[in-house]
Amino acid sequence: MRVTVERRLRQPRWLAVVVPVASLFVALCIAGLVLVATGHNPISSYRRLFDAAFLSNGALDQTLIAATPLAFTGLAAGAAFRMRIFNIGAEGQLYMGAIVGSAAGLWLGGRGGASPFVIAAMIVAGALGGAAWASIPGVFRAFFGTSEILTSLMLNYVAGYILTYLIFQSESYWRQTKGFNATVFPTGKPLPSNAEWPTWTLHTQGGIALPLGAGVTVLAAVVLWVLYRRTRFGFEVQVLGDSEGAARYSGVRTRRKILAVMAISGAVAGIGGASQVGDFSHALDGDPNGLQKQSYGYSGIVVAALARYNPFAVLLVAILIGGLDSAGNALQGADFPSGLVGVIQGIILFTTLGGELLVRHRVRLVRAAESVAA
Amino acid sequence: MATITLKGITKRFPGVVANDDVDFEATAGEVHALLGENGAGKSTLSHIMSGLYRPDEGEIRLDGVPQVFHSPRDAIDAGVCMVHQHFRLVDRFTVAENLILGDRRGVGRKFQLDPGAVVEQVRMLGERYRLPVDPRARIWQLSVGERQRVEVLKALYEEAKVLILDEPTAVLTPDEANTLFETLREIVAEGRTVIFISHKLNEVKAVSDRVTVMRAGKVVATVPTAEATPQSLASLMVGRELDVTKRRRSAAPEGDAVLEVQDVWAPSYRATTSLKGAEFTVNGGEIVAIAGVAGNGQRELAEAIAGLRPRTKGTVRIGGRAIRNGDPRHAYRAGLGYVPEDRLGTGVAPNLSLSMNVELKSHRHGTIGPFLRMSRMRERAEAAIRTYEVKAPGPHAEAATLSGGNIQKIVLAREFAGNLKALIAASPTRGLDVSAVDTVQRHIAEAADRGVAVLLISEDLDEILALADRVLVMYEGRLTPVDRRDDVDRIGVLMAGGA
Amino acid sequence: MNNSLLVVLIASGIAYGTPLLYGALGELLAERSGVLNLGVEGMMLVGAVMGFWAEQRVHAGAVLSLIVAVLCAAFAGMVMSAIHAFLVITLRASQIVSGLALTIFAGAAGLSSYLGSDLNLADVPAHHAFHAVFPSSLQNWPIVGPIVFGQNPLVYASWVLVAAIAYYLTRTRPGLNVRSVGEAPGAADAMGINVVKYRYLHVLAGGALAGVAGATFTLAITPQWVSGITGGAGWIAIALVIFAFWRPELCLVGAYFFGALQALAPELQARNISLGPTELWTNAIPYIATVIVLVLVSWRGARRRLGAPAALGVPYVREEA
Repeated sequence: MRVTVERRLRQPRWLAVVVPVASLFVALCIAGLVLVATGHNPISSYRRLFDAAFLSNGALDQTLIAATPLAFTGLAAGAAFRMRIFNIGAEGQLYMGAIVGSAAGLWLGGRGGASPFVIAAMIVAGALGGAAWASIPGVFRAFFGTSEILTSLMLNYVAGYILTYLIFQSESYWRQTKGFNATVFPTGKPLPSNAEWPTWTLHTQGGIALPLGAGVTVLAAVVLWVLYRRTRFGFEVQVLGDSEGAARYSGVRTRRKILAVMAISGAVAGIGGASQVGDFSHALDGDPNGLQKQSYGYSGIVVAALARYNPFAVLLVAILIGGLDSAGNALQGADFPSGLVGVIQGIILFTTLGGELLVRHRVRLVRAAESVAA
Repeated sequence: MATITLKGITKRFPGVVANDDVDFEATAGEVHALLGENGAGKSTLSHIMSGLYRPDEGEIRLDGVPQVFHSPRDAIDAGVCMVHQHFRLVDRFTVAENLILGDRRGVGRKFQLDPGAVVEQVRMLGERYRLPVDPRARIWQLSVGERQRVEVLKALYEEAKVLILDEPTAVLTPDEANTLFETLREIVAEGRTVIFISHKLNEVKAVSDRVTVMRAGKVVATVPTAEATPQSLASLMVGRELDVTKRRRSAAPEGDAVLEVQDVWAPSYRATTSLKGAEFTVNGGEIVAIAGVAGNGQRELAEAIAGLRPRTKGTVRIGGRAIRNGDPRHAYRAGLGYVPEDRLGTGVAPNLSLSMNVELKSHRHGTIGPFLRMSRMRERAEAAIRTYEVKAPGPHAEAATLSGGNIQKIVLAREFAGNLKALIAASPTRGLDVSAVDTVQRHIAEAADRGVAVLLISEDLDEILALADRVLVMYEGRLTPVDRRDDVDRIGVLMAGGA
Repeated sequence: MNNSLLVVLIASGIAYGTPLLYGALGELLAERSGVLNLGVEGMMLVGAVMGFWAEQRVHAGAVLSLIVAVLCAAFAGMVMSAIHAFLVITLRASQIVSGLALTIFAGAAGLSSYLGSDLNLADVPAHHAFHAVFPSSLQNWPIVGPIVFGQNPLVYASWVLVAAIAYYLTRTRPGLNVRSVGEAPGAADAMGINVVKYRYLHVLAGGALAGVAGATFTLAITPQWVSGITGGAGWIAIALVIFAFWRPELCLVGAYFFGALQALAPELQARNISLGPTELWTNAIPYIATVIVLVLVSWRGARRRLGAPAALGVPYVREEA
């Protein structure tokens, strides 16, 4: 008996939905086993996680706060990965968006502009910052054929060091220099109030706080979907993502497209960075143990992979993963295993990756032809 | 040395039975040709013999001893070596390193490498079989003909008793092919066996002792070559009497110059393939054919005209309009269609739908601002499927799931749409079955009848004889016109670089 | 003289660079076989925690404890890499996503922290650690003293490893085979080389070395366990392989160069030398340098001679099973 793997000629639609769901279930079972093996009760751990993520007081708010950056970086990763451009640099592009976005907020807000205008400027600035940073690996890929995987990855580190430098190692524009606290611990200059992004309260279930950034992610998902599926630009990008030979043959300006896709991806991540500052921290966070430890950029790739690069699925998966993350934070303590969240997320990814094979291929047991024919 | 016998070999792939109860035998000391069109099953059979595939049913025997090959290595160890059509060589390694790769005998058993010993042996082998090649050269430095020599040397180095060559002359000039045939005769004179896979009737006649014809997965007949004629072989191959040279063009065309190529030079990664001073004109309604062995600059020519390769000198005009250098979109808008050689890698986007592929170049037309008109795209695809009788489940099907012939029909449907003034068709029927070849050639001839200027680039002399009004021969980047389009001798001489 | 900036930098460079070197050598083996493993950071962290745990649990003399600890770390790293190997070699999943998943799974917010806190390894001093082995008389020799004789056994072992791997790749048959697997798996397969086996072996070896790299932190450099102790060394190791053109001997040079850069800023600070945003530059230079190398290596002419193994990152599927 042998196991053969054959590529499927046609991929049934139901498989594309059943397999990821089944993978999730299998993942939870495996993680459950890990918990049992280390002396924890899986059912109660999961229940506490779910509770802390979605059900308890203010849980949904926290989940949305965690999900928003993941949605941005997930959309950013999906926008690029779908076209087989592997932008691993969402992390650094997010930092750059935070830097440029907060600069816009500080400067324009300080001059007393109207709030909507300042916020819009921050969004644009964040997008520009992220797009510019993503264009570095983009240019190298478009003009030199250098793999964007490693160049974008390296630049994440450079961006992180720049971020730390601006707050911790210099007296930059972003650094808070006034007040007593400034001399004790380096922090970023707080945004003026007209640069703070609003949060709306949805009057359901006792009021869910929806940050502006979350709303922007929904808009971004729609824009990306329409862009890729319904426009000329998207058509050409799809062709390029499928076959570079066919793209060049049909007159697609491949270099421009690669640059554009990287820039779009970086822009979305950059807006995520601006959202971090505008929605949540209200000041540039240069602490190496702060924003830089959250690894939103890398988690975004995970989110995008789980969502199979579909923008709307990204939003859903971001809520799921964000829920896990915020629950993990909330529960962290002596009796709740730390690192569990990473373990669960990792296992989910593993099973999903493994499940991918089943969607694309058919696995069968076959009797080997070893004996002599009659 | 070895007689290889196959009995009852059956191999199934999803959707097709590639080999259906095949019996086959090649005896020691003979060159045995395996003839059939594409899809007949000869490649599959050879892969089974060389251990790459495992048969679902049936057995293999060498000199009567049953063999089971779990992998190509088992076959090589038993003495069955394949020389592949697409070389299995490691580009970055030297010739010597490629030869010793995976070798389990003698020098091969040692843990430590000894490059010097191999170098000497390679030199000796090269001299003895007239396959000279520098053992220290790296594969990426070698020409295509030289790489094939390395593949043959590899088999000889492994002391193959049975050599299987898969379409070896596809990349050789007629002279190189003749040298190869002499080498093969020397190899079998030593008692080895050579199995020679081909779809070219004249080669089969030239080199083989016996020929087995396959069709649709079955063996049709095995005959001594001396008793066979091209006609009898061709009819065995396709199952009906075939007029081997069928002329498709009637009267001489009378049109104005449509495609004008003037003194075009284009670079290539090797000097022998870079285009040097191409100059010719194709009138409306005329089919001009470029004959020549692949790899002499044909691709460079096609791409230079279509705008996919920048020209260093010269101009291209379509309908009097000069085409901007390196701009495929401009060429397309000027009325140029291009059916590329590499169907699946260039001509279509393999994982995208037929709708998208049909609109690959025209999607920019009739859009509402930047937005596509999805319904219109689908309608156009449905019309194309109907008109060209494409066998596909619908416009949503992915291009790669279609057969070669149907993919080519989609490409034609796309290129023939719109205001087509000039068409470049590069190896349009390569790898297609007989009925698809017929369809494609018919469409090309009809396009010319409608007034399109057609530039046909082909290695298939039969095709050229059937379609061309005028013939030019490409050799090492230069074009030479031929006075009479059916002067096969002259064409052959020019293809080999003579004057 | 032995306290001069240069000597201290080189000596520290070697010390800090050793985990980078182990990690890079491991990744080099995997990449030479054609498999990209971005999970080095995660594997290092798991090796770090398990090595420390073993050292705490083995109640024996220093030598035995440490040997067992290193082996345990290597094994832990190997197990992590086995997940990646199974996913990308057998199940043909995306190598990028799988590697990142491994980092998330095993990394500072994942398994390594989980194990560390569950096993109560934080804030615990090490019973034994790797120290310099040569007597101080040798260590005080000018220049050579601190640089060569002042290192711990893991450093010396890494030198042997570099030589061994270099010899393996260029001068032995299995080394030729693995190179062919990374360059042209189709050709290797046709010649009877078991592509799957070679890839598994080299990815697992990569995991083992990553584990040892992690143990270097908890058993030599610090020596203690803290969550996330490797601080990004895994990512530097990945960059290092490229920077070294996939050659072991250049990995050594690069690792020490990067290590010296890490030591530069604190040393300058200790000597009250200020060069502006030094820390930013010294932190960023390894990455910027790697980007430059990447661009150079992908230039068309260089690619053939210097570039990555041609089949790196591409799952191998034989035409038919």
